Amino acid sequence: MAAEPAVLRVQGLSRSFGGIQAVDDCTFEVQPGVITGLIGPNGAGKTTVFNLITGFLSANHGSIRLQGTEILGLSPHRVERLGVVRTFQHLRLWNKMSVLENVLLGCATPAGENVFSLFLRAGAVRAEEQRARDRAMEVLSFFGLTDRARELAEDLAYPEQKLLSMARIFATDAPVLLLDEPTSGLDSESLGRIIPMVRRLVDHGKTILLIEHNMELISELADQVVFLHQGRVLAAGPPADITSDPALTEIYFGV
Amino acid sequence: MTAYLTHFLVMVAIYAILALSLNLLIGYSGIFSLAHAAIYGIGAYASALAALKLGLGFWGGMVVAASAGAFASALVAIPSLRVAGDYYVVASFGLQVVVLAVFMNWTDLTNGLAGLPGIPRPRLFGWVIDQPFEYVFLAAAFALLTWAICWRLTNSAFGRVLQAIRDDEIAAVAMGKNVVLVKIVIACISSALGAMAGSLYAHYITYINPSSFSLHESIFIATLVILGGSERLAGPIVGAFVLLAIPELLKFLAIPDTIAAPMRQIIYGALLIVFMLVRPEGILGRARYGR
Amino acid sequence: MDLFLQLAATGLVVGSLYVLCALGWGLIYGTTLHFHVAHGAVFTLAAYYAYAAQKFLGLPLAIAVIGAIVAAALSGMLIDLLIYQPLERRGAIRTTLFIASLGLLTLIENLLAIIFAPDPLRMDVGWLAEAVQLGPVFLTRLHLLSVATAILGFLALMAFLKYSLWGQAIRAVSSSPEMARTVGIDLRRVHLLTYAVGSAISAPAGILLAMDVGVEPYRGTTFVLLASVAVIMGGIGSIPGALLGALFLALLENLGVWKIASEWQSSISFGAFLIFIVVRPRGLFGRKIQSAEI
Repeated sequence: MAAEPAVLRVQGLSRSFGGIQAVDDCTFEVQPGVITGLIGPNGAGKTTVFNLITGFLSANHGSIRLQGTEILGLSPHRVERLGVVRTFQHLRLWNKMSVLENVLLGCATPAGENVFSLFLRAGAVRAEEQRARDRAMEVLSFFGLTDRARELAEDLAYPEQKLLSMARIFATDAPVLLLDEPTSGLDSESLGRIIPMVRRLVDHGKTILLIEHNMELISELADQVVFLHQGRVLAAGPPADITSDPALTEIYFGV
Repeated sequence: MTAYLTHFLVMVAIYAILALSLNLLIGYSGIFSLAHAAIYGIGAYASALAALKLGLGFWGGMVVAASAGAFASALVAIPSLRVAGDYYVVASFGLQVVVLAVFMNWTDLTNGLAGLPGIPRPRLFGWVIDQPFEYVFLAAAFALLTWAICWRLTNSAFGRVLQAIRDDEIAAVAMGKNVVLVKIVIACISSALGAMAGSLYAHYITYINPSSFSLHESIFIATLVILGGSERLAGPIVGAFVLLAIPELLKFLAIPDTIAAPMRQIIYGALLIVFMLVRPEGILGRARYGR
Repeated sequence: MDLFLQLAATGLVVGSLYVLCALGWGLIYGTTLHFHVAHGAVFTLAAYYAYAAQKFLGLPLAIAVIGAIVAAALSGMLIDLLIYQPLERRGAIRTTLFIASLGLLTLIENLLAIIFAPDPLRMDVGWLAEAVQLGPVFLTRLHLLSVATAILGFLALMAFLKYSLWGQAIRAVSSSPEMARTVGIDLRRVHLLTYAVGSAISAPAGILLAMDVGVEPYRGTTFVLLASVAVIMGGIGSIPGALLGALFLALLENLGVWKIASEWQSSISFGAFLIFIVVRPRGLFGRKIQSAEI
C-alpha cells in the first residue's frame, strides 16, 4: 500500500433526503496519482457523494479533507479553486458555444474576467487571452479534438462530447478530477478512445475518482475500488478483490 | 419635418442605450428583468434632482444617475440572484412597482404626478447644447460609448462566462466561476447604463413625470431587445429603430388615441409571441453562434 | 380595535382571492416549471366571460359563473397547447417561454381593453351585494362567498391531488418529471390537465373580484405577480404553502395600511418578498433539492 498521504479523505459522510438515507457514514480515501473507482448498484449514492465532495449538496454529518483542508460545506466554485473539478453524467457542455470556447472557460483568465482590468489593463488582458488560447489548443490536441475547435459543442458526436467534458476540466490544471460515469453510453469502439485517455490523465499526474456503473470495466479502469451500497461503503481495495467477492457481485447484480 | 426627424433620432439613440444595456442581462446572461424602466426613471430623476436641488450640471448628474441605478439594482440583485430560478424576475417586478410608487407618492422629493419641469440642458465647456441636431450628436455619442462598453464586455473572457451562465449555470459553477458575483456585476453595469439613458432623457426633454417609467415601458424595452436580437450588438439598435417607427406609422392610420395605446401594446405582445415561436434569436441574431 | 378587526376581515377577503390565484399559479409552476404570467390573462378573461354570459347571453348569474370557469379552464389549456408545448418541442429555454407568456398577457389585456373599453364594467350580482354585520365588522355577502370559495377550493384541490388518479399523476410530475416519464405518465397530457385545473381554480378569484368592483382588463398582471410572490414565500411545490403565502401577503398589505399610507400598499408586499428571500429562500415548505437534479 502507498505510504503517501491520501489526497482526498472522506470520513463519516452522511446525507438524507426526507427520510431516505442517501449516504450513510461513508468513509474512504483517494490516493494520489491513481484512479479510484466508486461503484455500486443504482441508487447506491455515488452521484450524491460527488455532489457532496464538490459542494453542490450540504452534508448532515462528516468531513471531506483535501490535502488536509476541510472542504465540506464550501460552495462549488470555491472547491474548484482548491483543486477539485468534476464532469457530469449528463455532460452539461455549453452546447451553443464552440469546442474551443468550452475549453477556454477552463483556462485561467482572471484578468479578462475581471471587469476593472478588462477596461483598465487592456494590454495584460490581451496577452492573457493569447496565452489561454494557446493552452486551449494544446489541450484540444491532447484530446484529439483539434479539428473540431470551431464547431458547436452540441454538434459533436457523443464520444467526442465526452472527451470535451474531460478536456475542459483538464484545462483547469486542477490536480483532482472527479469523472461521473465517463464510460456510460459508449460502444466498445468509443471505449477504446476514452479509457486510454483516462489513463493518460493519470500519467500527467492527476488524481482521479470516477463513478463507474459497469463492473466489467472497472478492472480496466481503476487501480482502487470503493463499493457503495445504500449509501454505505461495503468494501474498498483493488478491483480484483471486489469483483471476485461473491457477496458483492450478488448485491450488484441482484438489486 | 426636420424637428420631427431629429427628435426621432434622439429617441432612437436613447432607446438604443436602454436596449443595449438590457441586452447584457436578457441576451447574454439569460436573466430577465422587468425593472429597466424603473432604472431608466431612477437615472432621470436622480439626474434631474441633482441639477435642480444640488445645482450639479448634466455631467455630474449623469454620474449620480449611473451610481443610483447601479445601487438600486444591487439592492435587488444581491438577495435574489443568490438563489437559482426565477426569483430575479419577481424581484425586478417588485423593484419596478416600488420605484414607480416612490415617483408618484413621495411628492416632497419628486413632485409626484406633476413631475419635474425646468431641467437644464447640458453644457460643454460653457457652450449650451440646446439645438436639436446638437442633441442628436450628444445622444449618438453616448449610444456609441454604450455600444463600445458592451462590445468590450461581451467579447472577452467575461463575456464567455456570461454566455456559459446562460447556457448551463451549474457547469459554470462547477468550473470555478463565481456565478453569483458575475450576475450581480452585470446587473449593476446594465443598470448604470440604463440610468445613464435616463439622465440623457431628462436633460433633453427638460421635464419628466412618472408616466414615462411604468411597467409598460419595461415591457416595451424588453420587446426592443428581444426583437432586435440579442446575439449581435447591432440588434438592439435595429430593434429600437423598428419599434419606435411603429407608433409613428400608427399615427398615419389616424387611429383614435384611446385605441392607439392599447393597439401598440397588442402589436408588441403579438410580436413577442410570434418571434418566440418563429425566430427567438430576433431579427439580426444568428440561429446559432460560435466563434 | 374595531378598525383592526375591519382591516383583518378585509385582509381575509382579499386574501381569499390571492389564495385562489396563488393555488392555481403555484400548481402550474410547481408541475410544469413554466413562469406562466399569462395566468393573469386567464384570471381577467374569466371575469369577462362571466360578464358577457350574463349581459349578452342573458344567463342567470350562477350559470354564467360556472360557464366562465369552464371557459377559463379551456383557455388555460389552449395556451399550453398552442404556445407552450410548441415552444418546448422546439427546445425553447425557460426565458423564451416567459417572454411568450408576457407577450400573451400584454396582448390579451389590451385586446380586452379595446373590445370592452378600459373602464370597469359592472355586473349584476343581486342579493350578494347586501351588507352583513359580524360584530364590529361590515362585509357583503359576496365577501363571505369569496372566503367560502377559497376554503372550498383549497380543500377540493388537496383532495383531488391526494385521492384522484389524475391528481396523483400531477404530483408525480411535480416531484420528478423524469421519474414520471419512466413509469409511463404522458407528460403532455398531465400538463394540459394541470393548466385546466390551475385555471379553473383561479377563475373564481377573477370573477368574484369583478362582481365586487367591476370588470377591468389590467388587474391580472398585479394579481399574477402577487401570486408568484405568495408561492415563492410559501415554497414552490407546496399547496398549503401557497395558501399561507397568499394569506400572509393579503394580511400584511391590509394591516400595513393601518400604519403605512395606502399608496405604499404594493411596496409592502415586495419589501416582504425581498426580506423573505434573504432569510429563507426556499420558502416555508419548499421542497429540498434532489441529488439527481444536479
